[in-house]
Amino acid sequence: MSKSSGKVKAGQLWSKNKDELTKQLAELKTELSQLRIQKIVSSGTKLTKIHDIRKSIARVLTVINAKQRAQLRLFYKNKKYLPLDLRAKQTRAIRRRLSPEDASRVLEKTKKRQTHFPQRKFAVKPVIFCCCFLPLQLQQSFGLLPGVSAFRLQTGERQHHHPSPQATMSADPLQTLASVGKGKSTRGVLRVIILALIAGAAIASRLFSVILDPWFNFRATKYLVANGFYNFWDWFDDRTWHPLGRVTGGTLYPGLMVTSGVIYHALRALRIPVDIRNICVLLAPAFSGLTAIAAYLLTNEMTPSSSAGLLAALFMGIAPGYISRSVAGSYDNEAIAIFLLVFTFYLWIKALKQGSMLWGALCALSYGYMVASWGGYAFITCLLPLHAFVLICMGRYSTRLYVAYTTWYALGTLASMQIPFVGFLPVKTSEHMPALGIFGFLQLLAFLDYVRSAIPSRQFQTFLWVFAGATFGIGLLGLVIATSAGFIAPWSGRFYSLWDTGYAKIHIPIIASVSEHQPTAWPAFFFDLNMLIWLFPVGVYLCFQELADEHVFIVVYALFGSYFAGVMVRLMLTLTPVVCIAAAIAVSTLLDTYLSTKSPKPEETLATEGSEGKKAAKSSLKSTSKPVVGVYGLWEKSMMVGALGVYLLLFVLHCTWVTSNAYSSPSVVLASRLPDGSQHIIDDYREAYQWLRQNTREDAKIMSWWDYGYQIGGMADRPTLVDNNTWNNTHIATVGKAMSSSEEVSYPIMRQHEVDYVLVVFGGLLGYSGDDINKFLWMVRIAEGIWPDEVNERSFFTSRGEYRVDGEASETMKNSLMYKMSYYNYNNLFPPGQAVDRMRQARLPEVGPSLSTLEEAFTSENWIIRIYKVKDLDNLGRDHMSAAAFDRGHKKKKATKKKGPRALRVE
Amino acid sequence: MKTSAVFSAFLSLLSLASAASPDRKSSSSTSTTLPATFKPPQVFKNANLVHVISVEKNYVKENINVLVQNVDELPQDEYYVPFTADQMSRLGGVEVKDRKDSSVGPFVVETVEIDQESDIQYLRIRLPKPLAPGAQQTLGISYYLLKAYKPLPASIKQDEAQYLSFSFSAYCPSAYTTTKQKTEVKFPSSTIPDYTRLPGSGEIEEFPQKLGSKLTYGPFDEKPAGATQSVSVRFEFNKPVTHVSRLERDIEVSHWGGNIAFEERYTLHHRGANLSSLFNRVKWQQSQYYQPATTFALKELKFPLRVGSADPYYTDVIGNVSTSRFRSNKREALLEIKPRYPVFGGWKYPFTIGWNSDAKNFLRRTAAGGFVLNVPFLEGPKQAEGVEYEQVQVRVILPEGAENVKYHTTIPSQSITEAGVEIHQTFLDTIGRTALVIKARNLVDDLRDRELVVTYDYPFASVLRKPLIVFGSAMAVFVGAWVLGHVELKFDTKRK
Repeated sequence: MSKSSGKVKAGQLWSKNKDELTKQLAELKTELSQLRIQKIVSSGTKLTKIHDIRKSIARVLTVINAKQRAQLRLFYKNKKYLPLDLRAKQTRAIRRRLSPEDASRVLEKTKKRQTHFPQRKFAVKPVIFCCCFLPLQLQQSFGLLPGVSAFRLQTGERQHHHPSPQATMSADPLQTLASVGKGKSTRGVLRVIILALIAGAAIASRLFSVILDPWFNFRATKYLVANGFYNFWDWFDDRTWHPLGRVTGGTLYPGLMVTSGVIYHALRALRIPVDIRNICVLLAPAFSGLTAIAAYLLTNEMTPSSSAGLLAALFMGIAPGYISRSVAGSYDNEAIAIFLLVFTFYLWIKALKQGSMLWGALCALSYGYMVASWGGYAFITCLLPLHAFVLICMGRYSTRLYVAYTTWYALGTLASMQIPFVGFLPVKTSEHMPALGIFGFLQLLAFLDYVRSAIPSRQFQTFLWVFAGATFGIGLLGLVIATSAGFIAPWSGRFYSLWDTGYAKIHIPIIASVSEHQPTAWPAFFFDLNMLIWLFPVGVYLCFQELADEHVFIVVYALFGSYFAGVMVRLMLTLTPVVCIAAAIAVSTLLDTYLSTKSPKPEETLATEGSEGKKAAKSSLKSTSKPVVGVYGLWEKSMMVGALGVYLLLFVLHCTWVTSNAYSSPSVVLASRLPDGSQHIIDDYREAYQWLRQNTREDAKIMSWWDYGYQIGGMADRPTLVDNNTWNNTHIATVGKAMSSSEEVSYPIMRQHEVDYVLVVFGGLLGYSGDDINKFLWMVRIAEGIWPDEVNERSFFTSRGEYRVDGEASETMKNSLMYKMSYYNYNNLFPPGQAVDRMRQARLPEVGPSLSTLEEAFTSENWIIRIYKVKDLDNLGRDHMSAAAFDRGHKKKKATKKKGPRALRVE
Repeated sequence: MKTSAVFSAFLSLLSLASAASPDRKSSSSTSTTLPATFKPPQVFKNANLVHVISVEKNYVKENINVLVQNVDELPQDEYYVPFTADQMSRLGGVEVKDRKDSSVGPFVVETVEIDQESDIQYLRIRLPKPLAPGAQQTLGISYYLLKAYKPLPASIKQDEAQYLSFSFSAYCPSAYTTTKQKTEVKFPSSTIPDYTRLPGSGEIEEFPQKLGSKLTYGPFDEKPAGATQSVSVRFEFNKPVTHVSRLERDIEVSHWGGNIAFEERYTLHHRGANLSSLFNRVKWQQSQYYQPATTFALKELKFPLRVGSADPYYTDVIGNVSTSRFRSNKREALLEIKPRYPVFGGWKYPFTIGWNSDAKNFLRRTAAGGFVLNVPFLEGPKQAEGVEYEQVQVRVILPEGAENVKYHTTIPSQSITEAGVEIHQTFLDTIGRTALVIKARNLVDDLRDRELVVTYDYPFASVLRKPLIVFGSAMAVFVGAWVLGHVELKFDTKRK
């Protein structure tokens, strides 16, 4: 055995067959075992041979193996499956890859989706709809009423007939329709034209009547334009809140004024000398046009269907909920803020979808502008973190979210802190804490993400729990400490009133006294949004169906916005954009479904049946009976589309009606119709303000309820005690006290505040409901809040708890300054004993109130505004009561003499 | 550069124009400063003088008809009329004519500039032909005095009647000896509760003589130069004393639009009696119901505009005023406006009105290629009680590039204080529009029909300037946008 070979050569082995090889293998193995024995007994000499033999065995085995595999390959050459070890190894990824066939396969669900929600190819459908509506809208808004009815018929016809020819055409009718708009650029142009038309309609529908409303903003803008930006920033206004004054530059949102100022100067530079007043009047309509475009952009991010975007723009343009705050002349912060709101949301979605820092930065810029414009920026400050939080909770944390949110928060907070009025609030108040919290949370998540990639998963679990627990504990502790130590302001009262609608009524009467801070009544939703309000849930449901990140946003926004709109009438405004978007998604989905030409056509199936006969049909039963979801019927389609068209038309009519009737009646001017149908304008406010402006001293102080403060400051240009910027509750309560107390108490108050004139609004003659007697209880309540001992609400009611102004009114009521000023001299307008308050349908006592410390200075034509002059101290040092009594006693004889014959003449 | 050229051209043409028309004068060129002690040479004698003072309206119109005689040895052509410094500042619309010969036309009247401190100031009348020694000429001197009355009592009740008082000299102020004179005062009504009585002369035992609504002082016998006899009258004037302290009138000519836009800004005061007790709406409404006519408050203003006026507006500092009516037809265009509140004595009401008119009613093209614009100098309200204007600024805004501007007006030259050409920048202007600014003072509504004629050249290149510039800049914007749209900002063009 030992003689047997030295090394085995692989080359020699190939020629041997299997048996020989096995034999040789056995030999080699025996030799090896013998050698191993020798090694143990350490008797052999050729122990070094072990190595060679082992190699030889290996060679033999290799050759055997190779031969075997070759045999197997031969065997399996045409078989279906190859054993795993005979297959090519490649890499794991390649081995696991789907075959091209599988990869190209499409799920049933996907197939359906593709049929029913195909990528839009033409923007023609919205064009038709919009084109039908817009001229109508425009015509109506310009009041061409005779033309409207004829036109409405026309459009109605077009509306109804439009789907039918389309559906009857067997060829793809949209293609023929769109052959004009086939190219990409043509469609783009079409879209731009439609958007421009919508913006035009949005502007036009806001021009029913023009009255500049919050005069303060206008006054501030004039100041800005006249004195430049830096002076505006440092503006201390000593003509309001006399004698306190107001640091106006630091207590307002300058966005609105700066926007107008920039537009003014830009136009000036182009040598278009537009009056700043006109810019202020038209700013809101112009921005509503922009809002429509922003709504289009935002909706386009939600759905691939561009018709949804155009519909959203249209809805946004004419929804009364938004028009209410943006008619021409409504120069309030909301005028530009809603555009900024929608645009910021658009940029946020864009940033989130792309994870782009650029879009995030743009979003922060837009947010900064929003902060500069409106106190409602807190809505964004809370909504974006909420969206981020919901996404995280859904397990959708991603670097895109991280980048978008972090960029927005960091830059946006910095930008917002540049506004003096906001200052350090973003790091100090509780309203801003969610944004900060989510910012921190995202940092943690990003850190955890990094840690997870770095350490094994089991360790990571424990790490996660410890880390999360510790962070939460520390954070909470920090927040509690910071809040209790006063670094972070607790929730403000205005904020509480958002959660508890009864809170304001009890604690902050001044907030509750404003009608737009009341909880929303149900009809208001329908009034402001019409059919959108029932399309809105449909749109939200459709968002749920897809539920990408941006759809989550719509869902979150819808919930949040709905809640707040329910709490406060005013916040209907923030709900409107999401309603418009959701409704547009719903309508466009409906239209796409029912106007779709891609659904399988019943004619085709009929044709196949007819040509191939019943057998063929039966044989191919399986393939043809595949459930195809779609609407076939011409009738159903046209019904559906027609119904929708009617609804859309009704919507336009409703919007026009609401806008012209409800939201275009400015508070300063009242319009009525004379019996002959001509318009009669009651312009008492401006009459009185102009009188004040022209015929009183430049620095005569006017005391009035705060509602009229801005108007007096702007139109009459006189200093006021309190105005609509209700920053100092005590001062307002002082005015309330002066109004609700008797003359003896009020006169010292008025002297102390250097009041020269007192202005009251009285609607008794005209039946005007917004007068001071109707607001009087709020004055009493606010005064009572500060001086509970001196003013008592109960004493203004009769013993039976009624609020009356006639002979049965309580003594306190009759003696109050407000009552006296309202009804002073009013009796003389009527035959004796027949004086009637037409507002409260009350017959007044025969003898009217007398005033001794005030004298009537001016009463407007319809008695809406009454102005009284505060008497100077008496020349003889008497108090006014006795002086007045003396005068009356003196005059009595004369009066009877004079009045006798006149009374006779009257009767 | 261009402005100054236009201006100098204008000035030279202005002097040409003044040479051509006798009533044209440039105030700076002819008046001379004289010392306070100046006394006019006693070369004339007033042979007969009739002084008619009319206080029927809320300004005073005085008419002096005087027969002057040259008592010097040499021919004389300068006749002086004295006024107090206070009167001088309120004096307006001075016109002097030859009563016998209306073809001579208004004489040149200038203010003699003497020391401002002096109490007596003079107007110098230049006779067109020197008067030969011993010869006579009849002069008709007429002028208006503004702010002439004082309410007496100064404050009255809302429903009382208003009385005004007016002081003047019974002897007509003159720089020359007057042989024979009388002064007549015409009143709006015969209710004249107080007037100064003077001892009579001749067969009349007491002056004045009252005849209906007219008082006559005189005839007086010879009075030396400078003689005065102060008298005052108090009469009922239950109408508003409307006083416009400043009127700015803009007339904007648009060739492209074929339109002329007028805008007038009034600062209106009521110079009558103040209210003794504050305004009472009840009384006002009752008095308006029972006797709507009798009140001294200003309730309404009527502007008879030129036929063809359209789109009027009426605003004030607060905004549109809804109480106005515009009646327009083929025969009239009457704008009736009501102030927001009845304007009582001491109250103020500034407002703005404006309207448009077709350019062809006012603008003509001359044979030489220039343009002639003929507009009323003044178009204020036409009230029975009259309206007086203290400061008037008329601005005629001509199209951009108009040059060679000349003007001529029939307003008495004494009232015109300043005239010049400015540049006014408005809608999309590049070099600005040419604006002719004329300032006048102390005018009254009697002068409503006086016209203002402006001639100017408007070359074709200037006509095309604006459309070309607008078109060019719009193109520039589009091209700019297109270029910007094609700038590739991304580093990597493949990824989106």
